[in-house]
Amino acid sequence: MSFDQFLQYISSGITSGSIYALTALGFTLIYNSTDIINFAQGEFVMLGGLVAISMHEWGAPLPLAFLVAVALVGIVGVIFEQLAIRPLLSAGVLAQIIVTIGASLAIRTVAMLIWGRESLPLPPFSGDSPIVILGASILPQTLWVLGLTLVIVVALQLFYRRTLTGKAVRACSVNPTAARLMGISYSRVVLLSFGLSAAISAAGGVMITPVSFMSYSAGALIGLKGFAACILGGLGNPVGAVAGGLILGILEALTVGFLPFSGSSGYKDGVAFLILLVILFARPQGLFGRRTVEKV
Amino acid sequence: MLAISGLRAGYGRIEVLRGIDLAVADREIVTIIGANGAGKSTLLRAISGTVGNRSGAMDFAGNDLLRMSVEAIASAGVVQVPEGRQLFGPLSVEENLQLGSYTRRGRRGRPAGEKMKEVFALFPLLEERRAQQAGTLSGGEQQMLAIGRALMAEPRLLLLDEPSMGLAPLIVREIFRTLRRLNEAGLAMLLVEQDARIALSLAHRGLVMVRGQVMLEDSAEGLLGNPEVQAIYFGRHAGRGVSGTEGG
Ligand SMILES: Nc1ncnc2c1ncn2[C@@H]1O[C@H](COP(=O)(O)OP(=O)(O)OP(=O)(O)O)[C@@H](O)[C@H]1O
Ligand SMILES: [Mg+2]
Repeated sequence: MSFDQFLQYISSGITSGSIYALTALGFTLIYNSTDIINFAQGEFVMLGGLVAISMHEWGAPLPLAFLVAVALVGIVGVIFEQLAIRPLLSAGVLAQIIVTIGASLAIRTVAMLIWGRESLPLPPFSGDSPIVILGASILPQTLWVLGLTLVIVVALQLFYRRTLTGKAVRACSVNPTAARLMGISYSRVVLLSFGLSAAISAAGGVMITPVSFMSYSAGALIGLKGFAACILGGLGNPVGAVAGGLILGILEALTVGFLPFSGSSGYKDGVAFLILLVILFARPQGLFGRRTVEKV
Repeated sequence: MLAISGLRAGYGRIEVLRGIDLAVADREIVTIIGANGAGKSTLLRAISGTVGNRSGAMDFAGNDLLRMSVEAIASAGVVQVPEGRQLFGPLSVEENLQLGSYTRRGRRGRPAGEKMKEVFALFPLLEERRAQQAGTLSGGEQQMLAIGRALMAEPRLLLLDEPSMGLAPLIVREIFRTLRRLNEAGLAMLLVEQDARIALSLAHRGLVMVRGQVMLEDSAEGLLGNPEVQAIYFGRHAGRGVSGTEGG
């Protein structure tokens, strides 16, 4: 493999890795405020892509399609919490986790009825003539994905570190009862977490659609990889989630590059499962996880 | 200001409070003393609303506390410094204090920065540690922060659950001195303590709680001079302040 080929693989790894990172971040937000692992997380990614496709078909410019998709799916996240999660508050976390599996099937079915079974395209955000960097030709969409992911991650950190609402969310994830004693509404924090989580994952879905299309069934695999990224980075650690996503994406791309036989791209999806197994056996707290690490 | 009558509360099917009558007047400090498991913390939790099944009557300055959420009770000015401090450990001292003022958001409260200055004036140690994670403070500093965080909410009635727990006598005395100053400035308090002697030295009135009921109620001097109270609550805990020390 030549150096520019290597760069090519890295750049494609960063592209999908960013999406895993945003999905993993979505898992993290919900997990930190509720201890729920949301198995419908991938469906938010899928919905983001498909809503943007429809908006674009109806004539909305891409930036508008992007924003509408993110906002709409954010609202879906809020409704999801009200309909599926809130009623099971007293039944406990396990029941809530199980209901997310059911909800994921329901969302997928509705998506199939609306958008059909085909994989649908979305044009790249700014054309598809590659930019040559160090001999490797890189699609502009890669830069969009990387840049927007960076913006989202930084904005989220600023929200958690600088705003009173963000600090209230962190307080709730540390000690919900003490937070309530300070007048912070835990139920509103949970609602906010679901909305933000869905919106962030949807943003990932819109960004990846120009690269790999989107179909009603794509959410399951993306969700699983996002979950693997979480485990890799340490469940509950947002920095770990982002790093885990990028590492997973790059490892996948290099697997395709280095495996000598043709059709090795089919093995790419196995990387996430392999990582999941290895981490769970060898280092269950993840690469960056420590028991004392701050949640959120 | 606070008037409670026939309050019953518990956890699931277990009833802990079995009909409590209690009143706290403006500017008054009332202390609840009692052995382990008497239900003192449960009483404070019932007032704050963190214990689910409550019945009876509970009025705070015209607010029916039984019908209010935990958050609404805090916003109404009944603010608790819970047992074991319950700080937001990974957050900084300053962030813990800011969150104390959360209830006042969007209300006509004084600016958080101004209140924080007052808290720092009361507990100068906290100002030195303002950027430090709350979880890394010593026991005494943590208790000061827990009280400071509650003060940020501009309480009208402060509920204190064993502020002396696990602290060296010197620190306990310092904290109680500060509580007295706050009271002199007009703040009413309901103080739960196992260290009956220091609690009664601060309070105006005291209640002795046994197995979820009020067994005795008297002025602080009356209880301090009561031989029965002395035998049960001073004897057993007299050594606590000396041997059970840590931090400071
Ligand atoms: N979360 C809970 N669930 C079930 N039972 C509880 C719970 N908390 C306390 N109890 C029980 O309620 C009773 C009163 O407990 P509480 O904590 O109110 O006592 P306390 O007077 O504050 O004691 P201490 O001096 O040890 O703090 C005890 O029998 C205790 O076991
Ligand atoms: Mg107690």
